[in-house]
Amino acid sequence: MRFKLLSTATGVFLAVLALSWMVHGTGVVKNDLSRNIFIPEELTMPLQVKAAFDGQKIFFRYRWPAREPHIYHDMLKYEGGKWVRIGRSVAGPQPEHIYEDRVTMLVDDGAVPEFERYGGYITIGDRMRFFTNEASKKEVEAHPYLGKTAKQEEVRKHLPETRLDIADWRSVIPPEKLAAQRKAGYFLDLWHWRAHRSNPIGASDDEVIAEARFGDKGKGVFANNWDAKQGRPQLMFDPDKTGGRFALRWEDLAARKLGFEDLYYLREDQAKPFDASHPWKDGDVIPQRLLRGGDGSHADITVHGNARWKDGYWDVTLVRAMDTGNPLDDKMFVDRRAYTVAFAVHRDANGSRWHYVSLPVRLGLNRAADLKAVEFSGDGPKWEQDWHEVKLFYPGQVSWPMLNSRMHAGASKIKQGVPVKFRHSEAQLAHYGVEMEFNDAIVRQWRLTLVAGLLLIAGFGVALLVLLGNKRSAS
Amino acid sequence: MSAYHVMLVHFPIALWTTAFLLILARSLSGAPLVRAAEGALTPLLALGALSGWAAFAAGLLVWPMEAVASSPLARNHLLLAAWSLAYWTLLWLVRWRAGERVWEGMSRWIMLVLAALGVGLQTLTGTIGGYLAGNPSAVSEIVRRLGWEVFTTFYLPTWMLAVVVAAALILAALGFAGRRATARRA
Repeated sequence: MRFKLLSTATGVFLAVLALSWMVHGTGVVKNDLSRNIFIPEELTMPLQVKAAFDGQKIFFRYRWPAREPHIYHDMLKYEGGKWVRIGRSVAGPQPEHIYEDRVTMLVDDGAVPEFERYGGYITIGDRMRFFTNEASKKEVEAHPYLGKTAKQEEVRKHLPETRLDIADWRSVIPPEKLAAQRKAGYFLDLWHWRAHRSNPIGASDDEVIAEARFGDKGKGVFANNWDAKQGRPQLMFDPDKTGGRFALRWEDLAARKLGFEDLYYLREDQAKPFDASHPWKDGDVIPQRLLRGGDGSHADITVHGNARWKDGYWDVTLVRAMDTGNPLDDKMFVDRRAYTVAFAVHRDANGSRWHYVSLPVRLGLNRAADLKAVEFSGDGPKWEQDWHEVKLFYPGQVSWPMLNSRMHAGASKIKQGVPVKFRHSEAQLAHYGVEMEFNDAIVRQWRLTLVAGLLLIAGFGVALLVLLGNKRSAS
Repeated sequence: MSAYHVMLVHFPIALWTTAFLLILARSLSGAPLVRAAEGALTPLLALGALSGWAAFAAGLLVWPMEAVASSPLARNHLLLAAWSLAYWTLLWLVRWRAGERVWEGMSRWIMLVLAALGVGLQTLTGTIGGYLAGNPSAVSEIVRRLGWEVFTTFYLPTWMLAVVVAAALILAALGFAGRRATARRA
């Protein structure tokens, strides 16, 4: 009898442990779009990179897997007598798949030393766009500098020293100090290729991260085609230049019928002023983004060859002058110098913070580095070198203020300058990023689990102690 | 405090591992030498528990509790350390109170299973501690293949917590039911 009960108790104990093992980690992590929470199915993805230069220009070639290309973005659809915008940034993937793929690269030449150690984490400040606690549009627009002067509507990537207190997005240092920082090179150059805005015209956006994320000086390579006052497009397709087309058709976009060789974008030289008297039909679509030749520093980067998705992979090559002559918003590339770069990819119709990012990568031009830019002469790079493999990861809601706070066990290591790579892998950071999005709920469940486990051990202990009796009792 | 914690954890790990080896030997053999060696089990378990409590206390002082509560690895380490400590303390109490009876009949196999579980718990605790100290090991890969990604917090859904608490009560009730039955027979 005693042994039977002992065996039963042990069986119950082990069964509960086994069941706990099977169901652990469930019940908390789930998408909640109202809190800007969407967890991608895959937390990491690969990116391959090559770089080459010829003394005048520098080329970066990127290759990454994507189930399908997403080349449509921001469309204006005629519906019930009104023009409706489709493709707005949302939490997680855009439901109609109207959101473009992207590859981005942050570049620094050593003027932002934390970037070499912590990469893009340093640009994630307090109450960022699409975080659960994001600052509202109203708050940002009311800010005397960010809203009124810099015309920002949301808290976007920025560098820590542009704030008096990294934990307060509002605490921007005075404009004259920001200007001095910029002159001293305290900014990150942001190469930003977009599959819709403006790959079809062989262009790429060129941006800068300082006290916020800005386009470089000059005219951008795309513009807004929305007439907010009248609630309709500003421009439409010119049928004389588009084979008789006035608009796209929604059914073609919904079925993703339009490919690289089709017309799925609005180019400045193929557009004409919107004609309200045209007999628009339900399902007519006009792109909300107008692609145009930019100018100045904003249009320094172009696409080399054709950036295309084929057989499950994007293959994109960007090129820029090594010295653009715009030192206030570009990092100049010089032979024999080393740089830090970090990459990010948007795919699967995801926008804003739902991207995969890399840790910092050392780039060398004839220097020892993770990613070596190969020198060449002639018409273009031969790309004979091996790919540099980069693991990208979903970063979740992890901010620089949090990483420097008492919430982060490694905050003291950051103060000591220990690089993130020394303590964390990409996979680890991805899981941490996800857990941070549910931190309060996970901490609660974890505490209860700890206590419940102790109770189970105690209950089992009572059973063992009572059933086995003491050494003086009879068998 | 991190260095002291790392130093202190060697003691319970060594003592509990030795205790497991004694339990293994005694479960498989009743030879005089094994029986004599097993006599050291209770002191070993007692020292293991005491040094375990010291290591646990030192561990709590390594980082602010906010940092521990915000790090999946630290959460896991704390949870497993608490369970390891409670579990081995329980084994000590059982061996101390029940004496040689734990080796009678099939009870020895129960002791062996429990001790193996204890070693598993302390190995997991140590593996995660290694990560936190900057010395990750391949053991986490085994754990990952068994179904737990150690970079994620080990927690149970609410319904399972209810099951665990119910099981704890049932286990205690089983014990008392067994005692009543034994008393009636006597």
